[in-house]
Amino acid sequence: MRVKQECNSSDVGVPCTTEDELLKRSAISPEDVLGLQKITENYLCGPLENVYNIDFTRFKIRDMETGTVLFEITKPPPLESAVNKRDLEPNAGRFVRYQFTPAFLQLRRVGATVEFTVGDIPINNFRMIERHYFRGQLLKSFDFEFGFCIPSSKNTCEHIYELPPLSEELMREMILHPYETQSDSFYFVDNKLVMHNKADYSYSGGP
Amino acid sequence: MHSICSSFFLDSRLYSGHHHFEDNDKLLRHYMDYLCFRTLCCKGPPPPRPEYDVVCIGLTGSGKTSLLSRLCSEATDNIVPTTGFSIKAVPFPNAILNVKELGGADSIKKYWSRYYQGSQGVVFVLDSASSEEDLEVARTELHSALQHPQLCTLPFLILANHQDKPAARTVQEIKKYFELEPLARGKSWILEGSSVDNMEAVKESFSQLIHLLEEKDQETGRI
Repeated sequence: MRVKQECNSSDVGVPCTTEDELLKRSAISPEDVLGLQKITENYLCGPLENVYNIDFTRFKIRDMETGTVLFEITKPPPLESAVNKRDLEPNAGRFVRYQFTPAFLQLRRVGATVEFTVGDIPINNFRMIERHYFRGQLLKSFDFEFGFCIPSSKNTCEHIYELPPLSEELMREMILHPYETQSDSFYFVDNKLVMHNKADYSYSGGP
Repeated sequence: MHSICSSFFLDSRLYSGHHHFEDNDKLLRHYMDYLCFRTLCCKGPPPPRPEYDVVCIGLTGSGKTSLLSRLCSEATDNIVPTTGFSIKAVPFPNAILNVKELGGADSIKKYWSRYYQGSQGVVFVLDSASSEEDLEVARTELHSALQHPQLCTLPFLILANHQDKPAARTVQEIKKYFELEPLARGKSWILEGSSVDNMEAVKESFSQLIHLLEEKDQETGRI
């Protein structure tokens, strides 16, 4: 699936926004997050806002040049007798920490497959905007529309990321400073924010 | 040479890995050797291939997921019925097909047309060895698709799949039964037999579709 990739808010023609401004709004739109200039400190919505019951169940990354699967992770199916959800940390499952080696930064095209389930309400327009930053700098913004989602469905989507060409200097910095590369993934249904996940990245090859 | 992904840590007790780094490690070592070789010996990255958006439909069990997974060199031993959409980028030597595969169960196929918008081509897969009843349903669905306003001008690749099964009808029989000559007149379509046992032939069938997509692209004067 081709994704829209722009780097700056000005490219997209939206005004800059801050996290504080957005937290005051009753609903957050795609244009709102496209204006963010840095990683948010807080989540912009709580788990309860996921009224469509969207659940991510699998994630995989492969190199498009060779087809090599770089990693894959699956969420085990929920057990009926599981621990009461309220006892779990509220942000469990919303944050992922990735550990890559420096070689990852040399990749040009990567296929990322995401698998998700949807509750029993049909979704008209499901859209994801993901923004990657290194320290205070926006590296890349990805924007893709899944479109319509069938109720009670399980869907997979592979999107091809064209990794931005990074200067030697920037790559060196990213490798030397693990977890200072971070991303916010915002999910919208009918242009309203329903989920917000975060991730951080190390390229130094170690824990 | 280092592997690309040394370890994976997930800050959540809800996730368990089925990441198999032991297998990956070997692959990644070979991969790193390849990357090194390419950097030293090649002049640069190859030019990007053109991409086309294609929708893949057909009744449940026709073999859509199996065929597409094999085209992507993915494992097919744990395939389950698709219960929604599956969007995949399928690579070919001279193009990439962004395929939107839709589940064929009754509860899913009533939503097929929600996904037609933006398609440049259609892949219709049918089980050549299915019952008379199922074949009739497949025919109805194919005819519906051929006439749908968002698909009627697009190239169609029709795969008479499961040719390896003893009960499989021949391609000629399928062509006749599906009334393709009269019904699909004036449209660009390809009908080929297929089987997961012969993926080379399947790739060849897809190449023919890509050819039609290229022609259509030139026709509409796109850059």
